[in-house]
Amino acid sequence: MLQIYTSGATSGSFRGGKQKKGNVTSEQEEEEQPLQAVLVADSFNRRFFPISKDQPRALLPLGNVAMIDYTLEFLTSTGVQETFVFCCWMSNKIKDHLLKSKWCRPTSPNVVHIITSDLYRSLGDVLRDVDAKNLVRNDFILVYGDVVSNIDVSQALQEHRHRRKVDKNISVMTMVFKESSPGHKTRCEEDDVIVAMDSKSKRVLHYQKTQGLKKLQFPMNIFQHGSDEFEIRHDLLDCHISICSPQVAELFTDNFDYQTRNDFVRGILVNEEILGNQIHLYVTQDGYGARVSNLQMYDSVSLDMVRRWVYPLTPEANFTDQQGQGCTHSRHNVYRGAEVSLGHGSQMEENVLIGRDTSIGANCHISNSVIGNNCTIGDNVVLDRAHMWNNVHVSSNVEIHQSVVCDGAVVKEAVRLNKQCVLAYNVVIGPNLSLPEGTVVSMHHPEEEEEDDDDEFLSDDQEVGHSKDKTRQKAFNPAEVGPEGKGYIWKASMNDTEDEELAQCLWGLVLNPDPESDSESEASEESQDRTFQLEVLGTLQRGLEENIVCDNLVLEINSLKYAYNITLKEVMQILTRVVLEYPFQQQGTQLTTLQYTGSLLPLLKTWSPVFKNYIKRAQDHLDCLSAVEELFLEQDTHQTAMVKVLMKMYQLEILEEEAILKWFSTGATNDKSRQLRKNQGVMRRMSLWRKESEEDESSEEGECGR
Amino acid sequence: MELQAVLMAAGGGSRMMDLTYNTPKPLLPVGNKPLIWYPLNLLERVGFEEVIVITTKEVQKMISTDPKVKLDVKMKLDLVCIQEDADMGTADALRHIQQKVKTDVLVVSCDLITDAALHEVVDLFRAHNATLSMLMSKAHEFTETVPGQKGKKKTGEQRDFVGVDGTGKRLLFMANEADLDEGVVIRKSIMRKHPRMHIKTGLVDAHLYCLKKSVVDFLADNKSISSIRGELVPYLVRKQFSKSTNSPKVIDETHQNLKKNDKIQISSRDEELLHLTQERSCWNDHRGDMSDAYHGGRLRCYVHIMDEGICYRVNTLAAYIEANRLAPKLFDEPAVHPSAVVSERCLIGADSIIGASCQISDKTSIKRSTIGVSTTVREKVKVTNSIIMHGVTIEEGCNIQGSVICSNAVIGRGADIKYCLVGSAQRIEPDGENPKLQARSLYFPYTQSPQPSIHPHPPPLPPTPPNSYKLKAQHSKRAQFKDSP
Repeated sequence: MLQIYTSGATSGSFRGGKQKKGNVTSEQEEEEQPLQAVLVADSFNRRFFPISKDQPRALLPLGNVAMIDYTLEFLTSTGVQETFVFCCWMSNKIKDHLLKSKWCRPTSPNVVHIITSDLYRSLGDVLRDVDAKNLVRNDFILVYGDVVSNIDVSQALQEHRHRRKVDKNISVMTMVFKESSPGHKTRCEEDDVIVAMDSKSKRVLHYQKTQGLKKLQFPMNIFQHGSDEFEIRHDLLDCHISICSPQVAELFTDNFDYQTRNDFVRGILVNEEILGNQIHLYVTQDGYGARVSNLQMYDSVSLDMVRRWVYPLTPEANFTDQQGQGCTHSRHNVYRGAEVSLGHGSQMEENVLIGRDTSIGANCHISNSVIGNNCTIGDNVVLDRAHMWNNVHVSSNVEIHQSVVCDGAVVKEAVRLNKQCVLAYNVVIGPNLSLPEGTVVSMHHPEEEEEDDDDEFLSDDQEVGHSKDKTRQKAFNPAEVGPEGKGYIWKASMNDTEDEELAQCLWGLVLNPDPESDSESEASEESQDRTFQLEVLGTLQRGLEENIVCDNLVLEINSLKYAYNITLKEVMQILTRVVLEYPFQQQGTQLTTLQYTGSLLPLLKTWSPVFKNYIKRAQDHLDCLSAVEELFLEQDTHQTAMVKVLMKMYQLEILEEEAILKWFSTGATNDKSRQLRKNQGVMRRMSLWRKESEEDESSEEGECGR
Repeated sequence: MELQAVLMAAGGGSRMMDLTYNTPKPLLPVGNKPLIWYPLNLLERVGFEEVIVITTKEVQKMISTDPKVKLDVKMKLDLVCIQEDADMGTADALRHIQQKVKTDVLVVSCDLITDAALHEVVDLFRAHNATLSMLMSKAHEFTETVPGQKGKKKTGEQRDFVGVDGTGKRLLFMANEADLDEGVVIRKSIMRKHPRMHIKTGLVDAHLYCLKKSVVDFLADNKSISSIRGELVPYLVRKQFSKSTNSPKVIDETHQNLKKNDKIQISSRDEELLHLTQERSCWNDHRGDMSDAYHGGRLRCYVHIMDEGICYRVNTLAAYIEANRLAPKLFDEPAVHPSAVVSERCLIGADSIIGASCQISDKTSIKRSTIGVSTTVREKVKVTNSIIMHGVTIEEGCNIQGSVICSNAVIGRGADIKYCLVGSAQRIEPDGENPKLQARSLYFPYTQSPQPSIHPHPPPLPPTPPNSYKLKAQHSKRAQFKDSP
């Protein structure tokens, strides 16, 4: 059974019909009402671009089955009898797919309604439409079209209903989580959450994404609910399955700024006292549930699938009930479809799924890989964590590591795909090429993508075809895709600041445990120094532009000193630094030494009263000198300028002779500064020039004469 | 000797000044035994043979001279006196006896009354080679009415936030509500290591700690830490996750310049062997990742949280009353002391305790009460829910309910006392008619008027020397000392 609606302005009649139905159902029948689900078959982001340019994410194959089929199977197995599938991007394809699937057969226990609209921009829009059309009458399950799960949510549903019965309409949502330790590979780093909950009532008190955070902060008011036991959990994997009461849709209507479920959860928790709504969670220990939110997750979930973690949704189960999809399961999780031919000496080590009519050449090594239908693979091919979809042709001597190869792609002789490569639809690569890590190749030109950026949601096959024509004119770069290659390289990061999703790479974030540091306070101190330095720079700059008297500059720097709580010693070091860096600041770092000294020396003269104000005691002189030394150690190309600077400072009576001599004679602290002093044999020259010095070495004099 | 026991008995009892005015806190009678007996008994039960008792001169004198303060323990007590006016904290006291500390220590506070299985705490300490292990208990609601307290006790007290890991044993976080202006802040790295943290608020700290010897040495080097509970424990809990204490390299460095550095150095006698064992064994304290046991951390704090059983800290009047009610359950001695003279025609409830050489006359009823040593109760007296300390005289026809009568008080004929606290050596005289004391009041010898006056609130301690009444009280106390052999 299938019903198709197209959303638009004419939803009035629709609403009428449903309301009528709603009136018919009386209170006593409430229990018997069919369980409903809202399936959002659009991700509203572009994490799978450019793959999802040709195929909506929900239809991408995972273990040779479209992802949406997993979601529907999950919903049906938990007892959902009515599912509303909301599509936006490429809704026609999804519709076609569903029409052919088992869900549309009359025997299907789950009635699927497809609702399409080009106007959906977020989950919020979908739920507002659910409310406008009055589709749900009771608690419903909200899920995305890319969720793979075998969790039995009936327990959670029961708890949810019980809570709603006990205190009427307080709990609006129950989120389903799976317990898994941090750093688990099926945990999406971007989706990592930290949840504070009440241990007894399972109520969510605080919900926060942890990505990029070092410290987790929990406001005090969440601990003031009378309970004396709370739990902070970081071992939860968000399955993106939520049990919602009908109010959720209403709340989305009321708060038109809610775009995502995250907005909703945060909004409910923040406004809890005003609205009185609560969110609970349900944690499962043994089910499997994950959302394929980026390619990293795709890789993980696909392998979990082959390793049978999603039992009973296994490859050989053929739960979609399609002809010819069946395969056999043998040891080490090796699955073979019908008519698979395997060449002599080829090994399928473990966790391999091979679709029907695929032929594999001789002496291949295949492990942890999924190969689609109608593929041909040549001889001596090494596949490790390769995800190949249908009709892929791989020639001999190819090596593929942790990569996705889409439908119709051709990999020619002796090509090597390093980790995290993506070959989108119909791309041809090679021969004799090694793609560097993280390469994305598509038949669509990246620029064309940006051109029709605005109407990305007005999905139309026509338009895609149209732009294809445009790209044909641009030539493929053989250096990038090989002499016979077809396709364009996509750069992982675009300078698109408004869309942060795009800036992240297709594979998701690299899983790196954040370095723990105990020196946060030091870091903030450091930054304070930095801001002080910038302020001083600003002051001096303004002083120069507006011809402010040095006394006033001193006054201003002094007030800054108090504002940032900087010691006098630091003030002097920073001041020295700022002044000496001033030419670089103004004219760039490419200055020659001559230019540098040329612009610096007049400045020194202008600002000498400022310096004199701060450099008074003998120690100050030494501090100033060490600051000078430090700077020139960094700017090692300009080391020869140092002597001139020192000389000038001496002439301006900023620095005293004894101090310079003392600084020079006190030993160097490390190799580099020793080197510096060596170069500054000049010093010696200066001292000779001023005063007879006992220094007897004079070998470097000539070198420093410049 | 694995552990040395240290008993902290120098506290002044600042939160129950009404009671400790004349009797030092360690010697307050609870179930006719001095308070200090309970922790001593706890230690003796688990087999300690020697205890270092840190206390004041006054207590020491009283323990050695006063017959009423009979400690009744076989352990060897090593009494160490500290100056009363030095204002020393518990950590200061521990530093004071550093010379005596040869091994890891078990620190107990003198006001702890518990039936906890002490081995639970020590086992945590042993099993995890912990730096600190401590005892906590679920907080109890005090049900009894407290003299001098109007209505229910306000719950406005600042809560302690205690964070433990999934097993409920490892101590991860500890802070007082007062310090959490910006909310609870936890570093993500801690959450990665211990992804499930229980934050508990309704707990009382029993002030029982197992500490590594190195911690005592650390205290000796860091004079700024003065209290175990207030400063040392939070410091140790925090330091568990700081990098500097965990990486072995830094440990070596601190080893070299320990004197300069305030880093705590964690090593014990068999550290190397233990490390080897840990390396070779497949045991791990956590699941879910491949890192070493304890994530390579060297400093570990554990807590045992009692779910049931008695655990009280006698540091307030309310706790004192509650402890008296429950204390009899902790030891099995006859409720009526053999040397007490009890008339046959009186009613004594099974839940009451009658001390040595008491005299209980006819037609008296005593229920749920404690009667101290050498107390005389005359005819037709009714005592319910009360604590009568030593040497009190209660004249005929009195009715005492829910009150605390301190030592050597004299209750005049026919007095009706409900929910009152009568100070030490106070005389409640019949003043013409039968005195009737107002409920929930405190009566003290140092009050201004000669007549027992009524205070709606506990009177503030007088800053100036009290009047003649107070002098009288002191005289009587001194006289008592002189009389004692």
